[in-house]
Amino acid sequence: MSSSLDALLAMLYRQLKRWWSARSRVIMTVLNPLIWMVFLGLGWGGIFSSQNIPNIPGLSDIPAMAEVIRKAIDSYFKQTFGGVSYVTFMVTGIAVMTAFMGSFISGISVIWDKQFGFLKETLVAPAPRSVIITGRIVGDSIVTTLQSMIIVLLSTVLTSELILTNIPLAMAYVFIASLGFTSLGVVLSLRFSSMEGFQMVVNLLTMPLVFMSGVFYPVTSMPDWMKALTVFNPLTYAVHSVRYWLVGSSTGFNYMNPWTDLAILLGFTTAALSLAVRAFKKATLED
Amino acid sequence: MSDIIVVEDLVKKFGDLVAVNGVSLKIRKGEVFALLGPNGAGKTTTIHIISTLLKPTSGKVSVAGYDVVRSPDQVRKKIGIVFQDPSLDNQLTGYDNMYIHGRLYGLRGRELHEKIVKLLDLVELKDFTYKKVMYYSGGMRRRLEIARSLLHEPEILILDEPTIGLDPQSRARIWEYIRFLKKSYDITILMTTHYMDEAEELADRVAIMDRGKILAMGTAEELKSMLGHDVIYVTLNNDNGDICHFFNFTKSCRSLGGGKIELVVDNASRALPEVFRVVEVHGLRITEVSYRRPTLNEVFLHLTGRELRDSGESHTTPVLARRRWM
Ligand SMILES: Nc1ncnc2c1ncn2[C@@H]1O[C@H](COP(=O)(O)OP(=O)(O)OP(=O)(O)O)[C@@H](O)[C@H]1O
Ligand SMILES: [Mg+2]
Repeated sequence: MSSSLDALLAMLYRQLKRWWSARSRVIMTVLNPLIWMVFLGLGWGGIFSSQNIPNIPGLSDIPAMAEVIRKAIDSYFKQTFGGVSYVTFMVTGIAVMTAFMGSFISGISVIWDKQFGFLKETLVAPAPRSVIITGRIVGDSIVTTLQSMIIVLLSTVLTSELILTNIPLAMAYVFIASLGFTSLGVVLSLRFSSMEGFQMVVNLLTMPLVFMSGVFYPVTSMPDWMKALTVFNPLTYAVHSVRYWLVGSSTGFNYMNPWTDLAILLGFTTAALSLAVRAFKKATLED
Repeated sequence: MSDIIVVEDLVKKFGDLVAVNGVSLKIRKGEVFALLGPNGAGKTTTIHIISTLLKPTSGKVSVAGYDVVRSPDQVRKKIGIVFQDPSLDNQLTGYDNMYIHGRLYGLRGRELHEKIVKLLDLVELKDFTYKKVMYYSGGMRRRLEIARSLLHEPEILILDEPTIGLDPQSRARIWEYIRFLKKSYDITILMTTHYMDEAEELADRVAIMDRGKILAMGTAEELKSMLGHDVIYVTLNNDNGDICHFFNFTKSCRSLGGGKIELVVDNASRALPEVFRVVEVHGLRITEVSYRRPTLNEVFLHLTGRELRDSGESHTTPVLARRRWM
């Protein structure tokens, strides 16, 4: 129905406009991942490279041997990080992490709408509630995808190994994942009426999810119990696919490829979105 | 179809609390109808049911011929509403708040733009069109909300305490808009208020509501004529309920409790000497006496034994909504 489309666009416009009208906050959302990228990326980057390996006493007498060891170490690191330097590896993960965190946080604004009353304005409009909340989620996801893209573009200062022509494809994956994570944020925020409760859950949930997704280190070198959890983390597939497109090689478990990633992400997002719609309908029906 | 809103036996319970307890009313097309009552009377709850935000526990409500439960979307198209609590997006400009509202109601393009400009001009916010709402004063926000509620040209305008928390000047301005709308548009206005002067000034008909029930309904004149011409209030030092038979010369006598008695008479200045005499003859003492031309406040006092202004204690617009959702 065209009136539903109008309502969807109205909500989308609102989310984008809010983001744009708070430009100073936009800088903040980019600054945080940038700090991770620069310090963690460059800091660890030096360790994961044969350049900085000190001379082993005695080995310098046999230059050929030293060269072989150096090569072996280099190739080990390259293999671990998908054929690229650690900075490149991590930067691609951070791009996804930015979208993930941003999506979750945008769930908070549902609480604010509730508290500051704008919600009522949308509820008396002649548009289905499912459309209202979907418009919101899509708008927020566009915002987080844009933030993620800014990170990718900024990261080209740190690395020249990214396949720039694949950025749009990678961003399509980021967008799909963002829809899912924003939906989850909405579901959570509707469960908690107080901000404190929500903040706590967000912190307790997001950090472990980030660490168990392969943002900072490959999933394949994790302990078995962590690997087992990683498999159920949708973020893993977002990180894997985005890295696949931006770097050109696969750094996950054997069954992972852009198609399985896409299927899993689509499944996750569909489920999360319908949960969000359900939660929203229920929360606004009241008593 | 001259009744545009029909409410029949409406009941709304929140758990054990009965917020609306059997309300029936009919609002005629084109009139200004005011629900007058103190805090907690159930005015907002009634409004929220009429505007499809709440589901009734029982009873029937139809708006412009559509049932609020069965065809909420049809009802929503017909109404524009200004909520008691603020419902603007403070981070956005006045224009954007209007624009988003327009899009939500299917307006677009040049037509939408022109309507926004015209309405912002009407409520004297032209100079603040592109300022963020967070920099607006309380009165300006209220005016923006009124402009927004008119954007999609609703048949029915619902105003829930339109002047709550505003200074006298801002109140006067909003009264002006309401009068203007009534005169210039073919619109029905349903408003709630706990200011009796507001109801008396603006409404064609008033329903007095208290504790979930409508106690009386009619024009302000009709309601006041329930009390006759003048009302005398006498407070005696003796709280003996059975004093009314002393005052058989008055049109009516009612004990309001605490020794306070309400006497309805044709002419207070003539009746007062007789009241004093009767009290003295019976060896009682008057601690307080006053008489008034009845206003809606006296009508409320007559109906409930409480003053409307007492129950409507200081009440300002809360920054955060009081309730969880609505
Ligand atoms: N969502 C809710 N949950 C529980 N109780 C509620 C809810 N909404 C209203 N109530 C209760 O219902 C009663 C009627 O409230 P309502 O807001 O309709 O009164 P009102 O006439 O609008 O008063 P006011 O002048 O304060 O706005 C009050 O006792 C209130 O506490
Ligand atoms: Mg109210």
